[in-house]
Amino acid sequence: MPFVSKPRKFNASINETVLGVGDKAVTLGGLNTLPLHFFDAPAKNPPAVGIEITDVDADLSAFPELAAFYEGAKTPAERAKKAAAAEGAQFVCLRFEGADPGGLNRSAAECAAIAKEVAEAIDLPLVISGCKNVEKDAEIFAACAEATSGKNVLFLSAREENYKTVGASTALAYGQKVGAESAVDINLAKQLNVVMTQLGIAPGSIVMNVGSAAAGYGFEYVASTLDRVKAAALEQNDNMLQMPIMTPVSAETWGVKESIMPEQDMPEWGSQEERAVAMETVTASACLASGSDAVILRHPKSVKTIAAMIAALL
Amino acid sequence: MARFITIGERIHCISPAIREAMEKRDPGPILQRAKEQLDAGATYLDVNIGPAESNGEELMKWVVTLLQENFDNVPLCLDTANKKAIEAGISVYNRAKGKPIVNSADAGDRIDNIDLAAANDAICLALCSKHGISKDNDERMAYCQEMLERGMGLGMDPADLWFDPLFLVIKGMQDKQMEVLEFIKMCSDMGLNTTGGLSNISNGMPKHIRPIMDSAMVAMAMMCGLTSAIVNPCDRRLMETIKSCEIIRGDTLYADSYLEV
Repeated sequence: MPFVSKPRKFNASINETVLGVGDKAVTLGGLNTLPLHFFDAPAKNPPAVGIEITDVDADLSAFPELAAFYEGAKTPAERAKKAAAAEGAQFVCLRFEGADPGGLNRSAAECAAIAKEVAEAIDLPLVISGCKNVEKDAEIFAACAEATSGKNVLFLSAREENYKTVGASTALAYGQKVGAESAVDINLAKQLNVVMTQLGIAPGSIVMNVGSAAAGYGFEYVASTLDRVKAAALEQNDNMLQMPIMTPVSAETWGVKESIMPEQDMPEWGSQEERAVAMETVTASACLASGSDAVILRHPKSVKTIAAMIAALL
Repeated sequence: MARFITIGERIHCISPAIREAMEKRDPGPILQRAKEQLDAGATYLDVNIGPAESNGEELMKWVVTLLQENFDNVPLCLDTANKKAIEAGISVYNRAKGKPIVNSADAGDRIDNIDLAAANDAICLALCSKHGISKDNDERMAYCQEMLERGMGLGMDPADLWFDPLFLVIKGMQDKQMEVLEFIKMCSDMGLNTTGGLSNISNGMPKHIRPIMDSAMVAMAMMCGLTSAIVNPCDRRLMETIKSCEIIRGDTLYADSYLEV
């Protein structure tokens, strides 16, 4: 008997959210099939891959390839230019590690100046992420939203504690896009979308960050969260969960022992840089298979690999 | 699992304000009732124009167009004994938000409303009765089968027949209540969709009692697998009960603000 393919398409679809402006703008979401099931329906917008830089000039000596890639780039804007040229990168994520009150404690005004320079240096869409301190993030996001006004920047992310300030100062005040961050909690993911919508933010301006973990570090909770969110969005047509999902993969994978243990301490594990790339690549592919509409990666090699994987599946 | 579907019952020509608005083609009162019901969370709106023997076709077209133009193609349930009026309504109906519902067929004189629904790719409410109220579930099930066969014979998707067990008034038929619930369970076990005019159960009860009784009934019926009900969505207690039951059934994902969406 011949094989008859029965495409599994849903009557609901993920919202389309545009980041950036001009020719290089990226549209996230739009899918009406299960993740990566491009055989069920052509992908309107394939999942997007972003590359992460930070505002601080980090010591990259443990990662020779990464150091070579950014060689000579001293400022965030210079690093952003190099990052934007990485093969497969569709957007750049600027992470304000230096804003952390426990670290460099960069002021909101300094961050805004950096964000402006970075936004002007690249033509790819920009995503700005904070330092994970809810009060400080609210301050820097407000300043950066004003400084990058008109660039259609995504801010990662508003959380339960600061969604009102972050939502109002980014999406409502400057028409920017805003992330809704919940740490692997489906009910909170939905709740944040509900309250942010009630605040007056258009559903199309919201991107979800439902949390992540490095592969092997409780990733099954991430996978089941992503699955459940997509099931609600597509099967139950729940419009409070139809926002596209962006997963900052690098923020998780570069902190686990596989990525931070130097080769001289663990020679049997081989190259530290290769391990870090492998952790990032494996986690990113698992996120995409479970439902992320975009991933953020640090190493240009990971970016290239994941972009190639998506292209090969199309 | 699919969401529970509430059909708002408040655009009904038995209401003097609506009757007058329909006679005078005055959009105001009709739009106001539609808005109240949609704001309260109704999915479909029932449009009852009465027997409408003389001008039913023109009236139904007018109401359908009026409601769909004003409320983003809100899906509608066309409720009249005048078949030509239902067909006229469907002829101007926009399906973007859901198929039209024909209200209603039974296993007796109105069985040909199934034919009408099949010919127009519509959903059909199918009352499990023939002449008056069925005496037991064997009789209800026989009518259910009869209508199911007829619909499927005409190429209908079984999911487009929504079987109505006929909810019975508690004051007078208290002993029949569990039987109705069991019938819903039987339909649900067969994978069939069910609906009904829920508030009939509390007819004749004091006004403050009705929402309590209706809420208890909808919860028990949803436990049995009820997939839809024709209700007054402005009854807040009832809508809160439905939304809570949807959470418990897993029809929708819980969030702290679930009552507000």
